[in-house]
Amino acid sequence: MTKECPKGRKAKQSKEDMVNLIDNVEQKDDLKYNRRAFLKSAVGASMALGLATVPFSVRAMMGLAEPDHDRVEIVRLDQLPEGESVTFYYPTENDPALLIHTVEGNLVAYNSACTHLMCPVFYQAEKDVLLCPCHKGYFDVNDGHPIEGPPQRELPLIEIEVDNGVVYATGRQYRHG
Amino acid sequence: MGKKTCWAIIIFTISVNVVMLQWTIEAFLGRDNEFVLIYSGIGIVMAFVAFLTYWNWRKIEYKEDK
Ligand code: FES
Repeated sequence: MTKECPKGRKAKQSKEDMVNLIDNVEQKDDLKYNRRAFLKSAVGASMALGLATVPFSVRAMMGLAEPDHDRVEIVRLDQLPEGESVTFYYPTENDPALLIHTVEGNLVAYNSACTHLMCPVFYQAEKDVLLCPCHKGYFDVNDGHPIEGPPQRELPLIEIEVDNGVVYATGRQYRHG
Repeated sequence: MGKKTCWAIIIFTISVNVVMLQWTIEAFLGRDNEFVLIYSGIGIVMAFVAFLTYWNWRKIEYKEDK
């Protein structure tokens, strides 16, 4: 055995020259997974998370500039007895909504896409409640707020107006009550 | 500003940004447009803070090397 190992850089520090052969075997990993690389990824993650909110705020800004809603005729009041409901579309053709004449005689309207996963909700006159059959979500018919099941947010409220026996939709509120 | 402080700030911005992203989406789905803008603004500011802090850390870290 020679005392000088020509390849081992730390050969002089050890008496066992075979020990030095495993020195720096993981050099590649050391270069890749180190403290500096970790901090850089952390910065990248932080920036990615922060900037991921940008598309939402752009959409929100577009929403702020949205024009006011029109007044749209829904149905004649005498065609909608108490305990019945009728589907209409407001404010666009893609927003189904439900006008409900409750058993107590109130008129209320909500967009009927469930706030859980967008299934249509129905009015259940027997229990005087709005029901989403998909996952058994229940909404209070008087204010549109969820009372049972998975939905967490209230149904968007459609503002209505009765004029000469005709019910009109005049606006929409997302957060109410 | 020391290197330790830089680490702390960067880790802090990550945690803030996770929360901001979550809140932004929540506010967006609830159509609370003002809140979307507020949370997203905080998120963007934090992203900048992270970047500036990183820049600063880089200066210190690599100066020592030479
Ligand atoms: S979609 Fe309505 S409860 Fe799930």
